[in-house]
Amino acid sequence: MPAEALPLVSLRAVRLGYDSETVLQEVDLDIRPGDLIAIAGPNGSGKTTLFRAILGFLPLLGGSLKRNCPLNEFGYVPQSSALDPNFPVAVQEVIGMGAYGRLRPFQAMPGEEKERLGHVMDQVGLRHLAARAFFSLSGGQKQRILIARALMVLPKILILDEPLAGVDTESRTAITELLLRINREEKKAIFFSSHDLRMVRSVTRRVLRVDGGRMQWEEETAGNLPW
Amino acid sequence: MGGGDGGKPSMVSPLEVFRPSYLLFPALLGSAILGLVCPLVGAHLILRRRVFLGLTLPQIAACGVAFTFWVYHEAGFAHGAGGERVAAMAGSLLFTLAGMGLLAYLDRHATGSPEGRLAAAYAFASALTILFVVFNPAGELEILNLLKGEVIALSVDELRLLAIVYGIVFAGLVLFRREFLLTSFDRDLAFLLTGGKVQWNILLYLLCGLSIAVGVIMAGPLLVFGFMVLPPLAARPFARGTASFLALSSLIGLITAMLGFYLSVVLDLPLGPTDVTLGCVLLFISHGMSRVRVRRTAGVAMLCFAAACMGSGCRPGERIALPLASVEALNESTVWLAKVRNSTSSELRLPSGNPLRSLAEMAGKVSSDYRPTVMDLLRDSLQTELEQRKIKIAFPEARDARLGAFAPDPSSAAETAREGKLSGLLLLTNIQRWHADGRQLLSTRVDFKLLRIGDGGVLWEKTVQRVIPTTGAGHLGQASSDAAKEIVREIFGS
Repeated sequence: MPAEALPLVSLRAVRLGYDSETVLQEVDLDIRPGDLIAIAGPNGSGKTTLFRAILGFLPLLGGSLKRNCPLNEFGYVPQSSALDPNFPVAVQEVIGMGAYGRLRPFQAMPGEEKERLGHVMDQVGLRHLAARAFFSLSGGQKQRILIARALMVLPKILILDEPLAGVDTESRTAITELLLRINREEKKAIFFSSHDLRMVRSVTRRVLRVDGGRMQWEEETAGNLPW
Repeated sequence: MGGGDGGKPSMVSPLEVFRPSYLLFPALLGSAILGLVCPLVGAHLILRRRVFLGLTLPQIAACGVAFTFWVYHEAGFAHGAGGERVAAMAGSLLFTLAGMGLLAYLDRHATGSPEGRLAAAYAFASALTILFVVFNPAGELEILNLLKGEVIALSVDELRLLAIVYGIVFAGLVLFRREFLLTSFDRDLAFLLTGGKVQWNILLYLLCGLSIAVGVIMAGPLLVFGFMVLPPLAARPFARGTASFLALSSLIGLITAMLGFYLSVVLDLPLGPTDVTLGCVLLFISHGMSRVRVRRTAGVAMLCFAAACMGSGCRPGERIALPLASVEALNESTVWLAKVRNSTSSELRLPSGNPLRSLAEMAGKVSSDYRPTVMDLLRDSLQTELEQRKIKIAFPEARDARLGAFAPDPSSAAETAREGKLSGLLLLTNIQRWHADGRQLLSTRVDFKLLRIGDGGVLWEKTVQRVIPTTGAGHLGQASSDAAKEIVREIFGS
């Protein structure tokens, strides 16, 4: 991607936290179309806080944040553990939610959206699970379904919170391949988090390290990390 | 609440109860509407992890009713006046919406556990309800009826209002299911897709509040809470998606309402607790079946089958009580019509304005300080019916003043009759219940036994349970008179 492309999200000297307690500070970041950026750091270091601020769920304590695309063009993949495991919802219902922003009340899902639903299910390789209960799936399958839901939004940028946490090796491979394919073939910007630096490095060279309330780009020669 | 036999459960058939001409059909329809819609509301609360809201809001609504009754009577309006129920409904709605608003505000701005807040609100509303009842000397009966569930006394106008309000709630929940589902399942995604608009949350809570406020005044908080929570919990193990969850919840609610109503009629039990107990039984069965991993379709079928079995299991044996007139011995012997026994705790004296008293006084048959009772009404009706059928009757106390009362037990009664030199047949009548249930219904239960005096054998017996509307009667005396005639007609099968 040309460096001069307008950033989808731009943060300058941002300070983040809860109830005036700072979690992250001096955050400067641009995410442009086609970027594949990872943010790595230990649990509780502020990765999710940064995501929530970018998505507008959390107000800034300081600095400025500019979005150059509307919120409904952000595809967000939360940690599946954040969702109610007792909610009786089918896989195709979960994925279909991604299209709700384009449908009017009472409007039945048009054929075009149904086709798209089938397409994203194919993309994540789980069309055969369409009628299954979402919470009966394995961790890796749930993550792929949530990625499919985010794709259903027709996003310009995908934000994934720990997409590889709690999934088996096979699923990890499937998910990382999927993210790389989406980034390369559809030129969507992807910003994801993980506490597994080795895995992160296998996916992208653009890695942000966050620890001690500060964030910085990792140098490719970085040595062993404390987590 | 229906016909009965020999002190055993009544023998009203399901077809009779579910027939539009049945006396309590409006109450059945009201129950069915509540059973269909309340689970849908409750299912949305459960999906939002706000199940305790389904407990707390009905209690807040009941508190609003108690408060309104108190203020209404303090303002000098008479108890039972026409506007009382409308005012109570307004109070219920106001308190429910205010309670919801306050809880929503605290959810956003206060720290601490939301469940703790709901528990505290429930305790507060319960305490206030009791205090408002204490403040209002005329309110105790109303609130007690409210807590028991008064759906049995639904008038046609109230049924119409319930149908309209619940129709709106049902339509809203079905039409906006997609929007409500999104905000319930993943608030973050809903925020992104709607730009943080809260109109769907507000609409959902308005629909919940409306259904609870109206449901509580019509059926009581227990029934509303039971229908809101138990059917969705029973449906949960068999639902793969939200569509099946909502549909199953409503279906189980409807089954609970219909079967509960039937059991309530047959077993003469209060409707609210019967429905809630039945809902709990279905919940246990549902979760029991999910433990043994019954397939979903089979599970739902078994749940329905279990419900039907419970219903049929509560029906009495197939022993049919024939009409009294079909007993051949009636035409062959004298029937001694024993004084009607009163086994209730009240005297059952008719109001002084009863026209029967004036007629008796005019005829010089009773002293001026005598007031007829329900027992007199019932025996008069029996006498009239038997005489019309040319059956020879006589009064034991006319033969011997000591025969004014007989024990309810057949052998003792026959022995007393033999000691009094009576022969032929003895008809014993025993009133077990005769009271105005709420303001619109007279609840009755009367045992009849026809004995052969010679050996104390029971030739025929029947228990009649009836809930009779009193709205058409000018006063309770008139209602009792109508009820006595209706009961006697029933035992003669006419």
